Amino acid sequence: MPTLTAPLSPAAGTDRATVAEAGLHLEISGLTKRFGQFTALREIDLAIREGEFVCFLGPSGCGKTTLLRAIAGLAPQSAGRIIQRGRDISRLPPQARDFGIVFQSYALFPNLTVFDNVAYGLRNRRDDRAWIRARVAELLALVDLAGSEAKYPAALSGGQQQRVALARALATEPGLLLLDEPLSALDARVRVHLRGQIKALQARLGVTTIMVTHDQEEALAMADRIVVMNHGTIEQVGTPAEIYRRPASAFVAEFIGSMNFLEVRPDGAHALRLGRRRLDCPAHDCAGDSRARLAIRPEAVKLCAANEGLSARVEHVEFLGAFLRVGLTLTETGQALVADIAVRDAEALGLAPGASLGVLLPSEALRLYPGREARA
Amino acid sequence: MRGAFVMHGARWLSGEALVRLLVLLAALALLVVGLLFPLASMLVKSLQDRAGDFVGLANFARYVQTPALVGSIVNSLTVALTSTALVVGLAFLCAYGITRTCMPGKRLFRMLAVLPILAPSLLPAISLVYLFGNQGWFREVLMGQSIYGPIGIVLGMCFWIFPHALMILTTALSTSDARLYEAAEALGTPKWRSFLTITLPGARYGLISCAFVVFTLAITDFGVPKIIGGQFSVLATDVYRQVVGQQNFQMGAVVSVILLLPALASFVVDRWIQRRQVAQLSARAVPWRPTPSPLRDWAFAGLCYAVGAAILLVIGTAIYASLVQFWPYNLSLTLEHYAFEMLAGGGWASWFNSLKLAFSVALIGTLVIFFNAWLIEKSDGYRVLRQGLHFLAMLPMAVPGMVLGLAYIFFFNQAGNPLNWLYGTLAILVLNTLVHFYTVCHLTSVTALKQLDPEFEAVGASLKVPFWVTFRRVTLPVSLPAVLDISVYLFVNAMTTVSAVVFLYTSDTRLASVAVMHLDEAGYFASAAAMAVLIFFTSLAVKLAHAALSHLLLTRAQAWRQAG
Repeated sequence: MPTLTAPLSPAAGTDRATVAEAGLHLEISGLTKRFGQFTALREIDLAIREGEFVCFLGPSGCGKTTLLRAIAGLAPQSAGRIIQRGRDISRLPPQARDFGIVFQSYALFPNLTVFDNVAYGLRNRRDDRAWIRARVAELLALVDLAGSEAKYPAALSGGQQQRVALARALATEPGLLLLDEPLSALDARVRVHLRGQIKALQARLGVTTIMVTHDQEEALAMADRIVVMNHGTIEQVGTPAEIYRRPASAFVAEFIGSMNFLEVRPDGAHALRLGRRRLDCPAHDCAGDSRARLAIRPEAVKLCAANEGLSARVEHVEFLGAFLRVGLTLTETGQALVADIAVRDAEALGLAPGASLGVLLPSEALRLYPGREARA
Repeated sequence: MRGAFVMHGARWLSGEALVRLLVLLAALALLVVGLLFPLASMLVKSLQDRAGDFVGLANFARYVQTPALVGSIVNSLTVALTSTALVVGLAFLCAYGITRTCMPGKRLFRMLAVLPILAPSLLPAISLVYLFGNQGWFREVLMGQSIYGPIGIVLGMCFWIFPHALMILTTALSTSDARLYEAAEALGTPKWRSFLTITLPGARYGLISCAFVVFTLAITDFGVPKIIGGQFSVLATDVYRQVVGQQNFQMGAVVSVILLLPALASFVVDRWIQRRQVAQLSARAVPWRPTPSPLRDWAFAGLCYAVGAAILLVIGTAIYASLVQFWPYNLSLTLEHYAFEMLAGGGWASWFNSLKLAFSVALIGTLVIFFNAWLIEKSDGYRVLRQGLHFLAMLPMAVPGMVLGLAYIFFFNQAGNPLNWLYGTLAILVLNTLVHFYTVCHLTSVTALKQLDPEFEAVGASLKVPFWVTFRRVTLPVSLPAVLDISVYLFVNAMTTVSAVVFLYTSDTRLASVAVMHLDEAGYFASAAAMAVLIFFTSLAVKLAHAALSHLLLTRAQAWRQAG
């Protein structure tokens, strides 16, 4: 791998030093986008720090791509402001904004060679040819495609095309890199490999990056911070660990990782009732509601002998390699529950469909969300 | 440094947006001046008397009270409907043979079937006169009926329109889903039932669309009835007779308005159908491949070859007739009839004029229409402007050539029109022909552009490359096959059209197709055939050159096209 210091990012380097104090690369406030009657984005407020890798994550139609396109100026917002490095870019066309973009389709120019694709934005600056050649070679080396200059995009694999698109987007040293589902068109193994490569590249160049994805695993693996979106609003912003451990809403809890939901009745601010059983839990704000939803990750559920904890019956057991996924029914309330158990522990418990067991729900792993009626 | 660059960027930026707007407005101006204003002047003219005073619907009232004129409506409808039924039926069978059977020689037949498009519609009419006219070889076949009249018109139309119908129906029938047929077969469905329940419904939009296209072409064509119509008048020849024969421009305008109606109606229906025809074929469809079945294959081959033979006979007759001394009495060969100089019609100069026109239209038209389509399809912003432009681009299809030509007289020949200087120049012929054939080129461009990645422009913009650079470096090269198709379509049509330009030429800008008509009127039948044959071979040469060029470009571009 080449070193990427002096020629590639002198501007980015100095910028980063100065903006380290300023801190923010992008400030979005009150951003709204309407398509006729439909509101795709509703009053979005978001700040992105210099050099940060941020993922917009959400189900399809949640507005994440619309938000990205608004930042790029490709789909101008109906209301709200976007400030990049202190400059108000809300009304600027894409050409006047400072970003590079990689699309889901890559949008490589099929009639141009890899060299001409990567040099596309450089030529416009009328830089001298030798410099352009050196720069393209450098960029291609950066994405592991050294020597592919003369090939046409059609002769490359999907992963290679994706990296050419990345090199093309980085060629002009944009302050902001936008990635619109860059990995979704690739097969699973290439995707995991490229994930690491992009992340490493981004860390090395220090370029502020926003990636749109609907793949939570991708977001958890790559992002410094994740912006979880749903129905045109932001549900939660946080580091992958925060999002996973302390989902701010039932939607986030359900969307990220797997989650058990149990119908419960809040009992004061620090406890709840599951059937007749009273359980302690972290402080919650559903105290006034008559019903609530208790969320717990399958790997947090502990199984024990039948005489301890809540009694439950094993419905089915799935072998998933590193662990077993156990489907349970709580005897008292009849609610379903899933537990992920290490293979070692399972042998001790004698897991088999129909067996009766005890279930422990550790209070620090519990989160409480308003019941469905309360939400509606 | 970065700041300086952005400042610089912002400045040419506003320039770029301005350029985009200006070009859009220029495109709008072209279609408004070349289409809307002339049509409006024609409508106004139809409501005026000879002195230019407004008389309301008086002209229309007079039209309705003149039996000779009203009769043309019935004549036109009869001829057009008969031609439609014949052409659609025959083209459907041939298209079925091409797409759904293993008949031998498909490529040869498809090549033969394109030939009629390369000739002006005057050519089949001339050939029919030679074949079935008073001195024709096959006169007896008509059993005493005259070829001059409805029979000749219908036969001529069928010849000339057949390729259009065949192209539409071949496309409609070639989109098939093998899975449906396999399912039907697995359920024990007889072949005829698969045909009725799968094949026909699948092609129904193509069939309806085809019927309307054929009907419109048949009711608006001028060349065939002009040559072979005899005393049987139709709307298109009425316009000509009123204007050129009787100098009655008002009545010409009235007939034009009436001629506009069926064309406009079929345009509206066709648009409506196109809108309903969405994604009939899913991306997962498996194309159906015919399996050999000797009886069926040879039956269809026989039919197609018969059609091909008829096409060759008609074209061959024109060629032969142009080469013999004096049909049918002296059949020794001569090139005498190609010496046009001493005859009516303007001589070889008219052929050169046609070449000039065809090359100009092909060059200018292709660039203008494709670039406009690109602006309409790929810009954001100016939504209303772009939608308006798209509508205007669709409209020429509904305007018959005769109507457009006459409308140009009314608009450009007005005293006080600042564009009056255009009148009588080659430029007005270029403009007229470009607008006349705008729609098909526009649709071809849009189809090609829709196949491109929608993000090309966004990538260009993010790399701060002006939109015209991306157009030149990427969009145009990638769309080159479609662009070449458009240019050859425009060339051939400019070469063969008579209807619109018949009102607009002057003695300096007389065209070959008009010369055919004049030679025929003056009784130089062999020379008329010769000029028509000359047009045919010119078109054929360009078409072949186009095929060779496309082939060359595609092989050169194979490096990047193939693997994709």
